[in-house]
Amino acid sequence: MNALPSPVHDVTPTRDLFEARVEVNRRMCRDHYLLRLRITGPRDFPTTQPGQFIQLGCANPDRASRDTREEVTWQPGEVPALHQDELCHPSAFLRRPFSLSGRGDDVLGTWVEVIHRVVGVGTDWLSKLRVGDAVDFVGPLGNTFTRTPGKNNALLVGGGVGLPPMFYLAEALDAAGWKAMAFVGATTSELLAVSIEEGLVPESDGRPNRSIVQFASYSDPSVVTSDDGTIGMKGRVTDGLLPVIEKMSGAERSKTVIYTCGPEPMMHAVTKLAERFGIECQVCLEQAMACGMGTCQSCIVKIEPDTARGEVAQGRSVEGRDWRYKLACTDGPVFDSRRVVWG
Amino acid sequence: MATSTPTPPTPTVDLSVDLAGLRLAGPMMTASGTCGYAWEYGDFVDLTKLGAFVTKSITLHPRKGNEAYRIVETRGGMLNAIGLANVGLEVFLKEKLPQLADMRSKGPRIIVNVAGHSVEDYVVTTQRIADEKAIDAIELNVSCPNVKDGLTFGTDPLLLRQLIKEVRASMRRDCKLIVKLSPNVGDITLTARAAVEGGADVLSMINTYTAMAIDIHKRKPRLANTTGGLSGPAVRPLAVYLVNRVYRAVARDANVPIIGMGGIQTWQDAAEFLLAGASALAVGTALFVDPATPIKIMDGLSSYLAQQKCASLREIVGTLKIDP
Ligand SMILES: Cc1cc2nc3c(=O)[nH]c(=O)nc-3n(C[C@H](O)[C@H](O)[C@H](O)COP(=O)(O)OP(=O)(O)OC[C@H]3O[C@@H](n4cnc5c(N)ncnc54)[C@H](O)[C@@H]3O)c2cc1C
Ligand SMILES: Cc1cc2nc3c(=O)[nH]c(=O)nc-3n(C[C@H](O)[C@H](O)[C@H](O)COP(=O)(O)O)c2cc1C
Ligand code: FES
Repeated sequence: MNALPSPVHDVTPTRDLFEARVEVNRRMCRDHYLLRLRITGPRDFPTTQPGQFIQLGCANPDRASRDTREEVTWQPGEVPALHQDELCHPSAFLRRPFSLSGRGDDVLGTWVEVIHRVVGVGTDWLSKLRVGDAVDFVGPLGNTFTRTPGKNNALLVGGGVGLPPMFYLAEALDAAGWKAMAFVGATTSELLAVSIEEGLVPESDGRPNRSIVQFASYSDPSVVTSDDGTIGMKGRVTDGLLPVIEKMSGAERSKTVIYTCGPEPMMHAVTKLAERFGIECQVCLEQAMACGMGTCQSCIVKIEPDTARGEVAQGRSVEGRDWRYKLACTDGPVFDSRRVVWG
Repeated sequence: MATSTPTPPTPTVDLSVDLAGLRLAGPMMTASGTCGYAWEYGDFVDLTKLGAFVTKSITLHPRKGNEAYRIVETRGGMLNAIGLANVGLEVFLKEKLPQLADMRSKGPRIIVNVAGHSVEDYVVTTQRIADEKAIDAIELNVSCPNVKDGLTFGTDPLLLRQLIKEVRASMRRDCKLIVKLSPNVGDITLTARAAVEGGADVLSMINTYTAMAIDIHKRKPRLANTTGGLSGPAVRPLAVYLVNRVYRAVARDANVPIIGMGGIQTWQDAAEFLLAGASALAVGTALFVDPATPIKIMDGLSSYLAQQKCASLREIVGTLKIDP
C-alpha cells in the first residue's frame, strides 16, 4: 500500500519524527561543529547505514508544535499569545538535511552524530545549542552506500561538508572486514573538520599516513589535500587520489569501490578518474531540499534513465547523454557515478 | 504563552464538514503539491484521519518540471518553482488511482487537483478523472504561477468562467468541482464570482503568491525559474484576509463553501481561517516540517470549539465579529 519509490537498496521505510537532546556540541574547526543527539522518547530509532541523512529542525522544536500540542487555556478577555516568532527574527522554517556522520547504541539508547558547517541561519542556530537542549528531526532518510559483493577495498573521497558521511562509512566498512583509505580535500587547514593524531601531520607530498583520527581508529590511512597548501599536500583531492590508483594492479582495481561526497566539481572529477581506471564509484549528491520525504519534488538530480525498467528520457545533456530527473532525497542521495549526468 | 493547565476540556464537538453535499469526517485536508499522490506520508502519520486528501496537480501529459534550484527559503516561508512536475494522466490512472481508492475505503475523501494549458486540456483530464468512482471531487488549479501562461485562467474572470462552465458540463454530475483561486489578482472577488457563476461547487484559496528572491552576490535570481510561489507562515495574514473578503462578498450569499489555506501550521492559524469564513482547511508547506500537522491541529480545534461553546465546527464558520 506504500507509494514510496522502491528503495534502491534494502532499507526498511520506518522514517519518523524523532525528538532528541544535545549530548555533545563541539567545535571542530573554524566553521564546523559536531553535534551528538541522544534520541529521547519511546520509539526505537531504526537501523541506519552510511549515506543516509536526517532532516534536522534548526529552530526551537516547540515553536512549530507547541501550539498544536497544548491544551487550550485561553479565556475570554485574555490577550492571546503570539505565535509568530518566525516573523520577528531570522529563523529556519524548513528542516535542514545533514548526513549521518555516526551512530551509536548503548545502554541509554541511541545517539546520532552530524557534523555541520555554519553557512546560514539554520546552521548558526545549531552551533549555539547547549548540552541538554531539545531538537527534533525526521529520519532516517535516503538510500545508502552499498558494499558490492566480491569487493573488499574502498577509497573514501570526501571534501568540505561531504566528509562527515565518510566517517560513518569507514566504521561500517571496517565492521564488514573491508580495507579502506581516505582522501580528504579542504580549501584551507582552518576548514578541515577532522581530529589530527598527536605527533602526526598529514604528509605534504601526499603519502598516506594515519594522521586523521576518524580514519586511523579503523587503521585506515589517509591523504589530505588543501587548495592553499596550509595542510597536507597542496592541490585537489584528485591529485592525492591519482597516484594511489596508478599504483594499484588491475586485479586490485576490480576489487575496489570509490565512495565520494563533496562539492559537485570534486565529485565530477573523481567520477572521471574512476571511469578512466574502470573502478566502480558511488557518489552522494546534494540538492536543495524542502521535505526530504519525496513529496515536494524540489531535490532533482539528472540521472540516466533505466531503460530496462521502462524509464524514458526527459532531456539530453550537451554531451549527448539522456537524463531523467530523480529525487536526491528518496531515489538517492547515493547514485552509481556512471548514471549521473553532470552539469 | 498561556500555559496554566486547568482541567482539560473533554471535546465532544462535531468536526464534520459539508462541502456542497460532500461530507468530510473532519475539516483537515492536505494542500496540493505538498503531500505527493497518495501514501507518501503513510509511514509518519495516520492519513486516514484526514477529512480529505488532495493530490499533486495532474496534467494531461507528464511534465518534468523546472530546472534546479526549485525552492528557496525566505523569512517565515518558502518560494517554490516546481513547474507542475507530475506523472501525467495515464500513469496517474494506472498507478496512483488504485492507491487513492484504497485510501478512500479507509475514510478520507479523495480530491484530485488538475492543471492544464488550454480549455481542452482541462476538459479531457477532468472528465477522465471524474469518471472514476473513487474520486469525490476535482480541484482545478487555474493559478499555478510557475508555468508559462499558468496564470491567465486564474486572473481573467471571463476566461475563468468559460473554462469552469465547460469543465463542469463535462464532469460526472455528483463529482464536486473545486476551483482554486490565485491571490495574484487586483480584486479577488471578481475571479471568485466568475468561478461561482461558471459552476464551481466549492472555492479553495489560496494558491501561492508570485515572488522573487535574489542572490545579491551573484546578482541573480535564486530560482532557476526566476520567480516562484511564496507559501508558509509568511502568507497567512494575506490569506486570511482574502478568505474573509471572498466569504463576505461572494461565497456566503452564494452558499459556496471555502477551503482555506495559506501558512496554516497551528490550530490557532486554523481557527483564524474558520472565523474568516473557511469551512475546511488545508495544510501545505507545514507538512514538510511535520507531516502530522493536520492531525495535531484537529485536537487543538476540538478543545478550542468546546471552549467557544460550539457543538459543531460548522457553527463557528464566518463568525468573525467586525465592529460596524
Ligand atoms: C543530503 C544532504 C546531506 C547534507 N549533509 C551535510 C552535512 O553532513 N554537513 C553539512 O554541513 N551540510 C550538509 N548538507 C548541506 C546543508 O543541508 C546546508 O548547508 C544547510 O541546509 C544550510 O542551512 P542554513 O540554514 O545554515 O543555510 P541557509 O541560510 O539556508 O543558506 C546559506 C547559504 O548556503 C546555501 N545553501 C543552502 N542549502 C544548501 C545546499 N543544500 N547545498 C549547497 N548550498 C546550500 C544557500 O544558497 C546560502 O547561500 C547536506 C545537504 C544535503 C542535501
Ligand atoms: C512545493 C509546493 C508545491 C505546490 N504544488 C502545487 C500544485 O501542484 N498545485 C496546486 O494547486 N498548488 C500547489 N501548491 C500550493 C499549495 O497547494 C498551497 O495552495 C499553498 O502552498 C499555500 O498553502 P501553505 O502555505 O499551507 O503551503 C504547492 C505549494 C508548494 C509549497
Ligand atoms: S526534498 Fe522534497 S522531494 Fe526531495
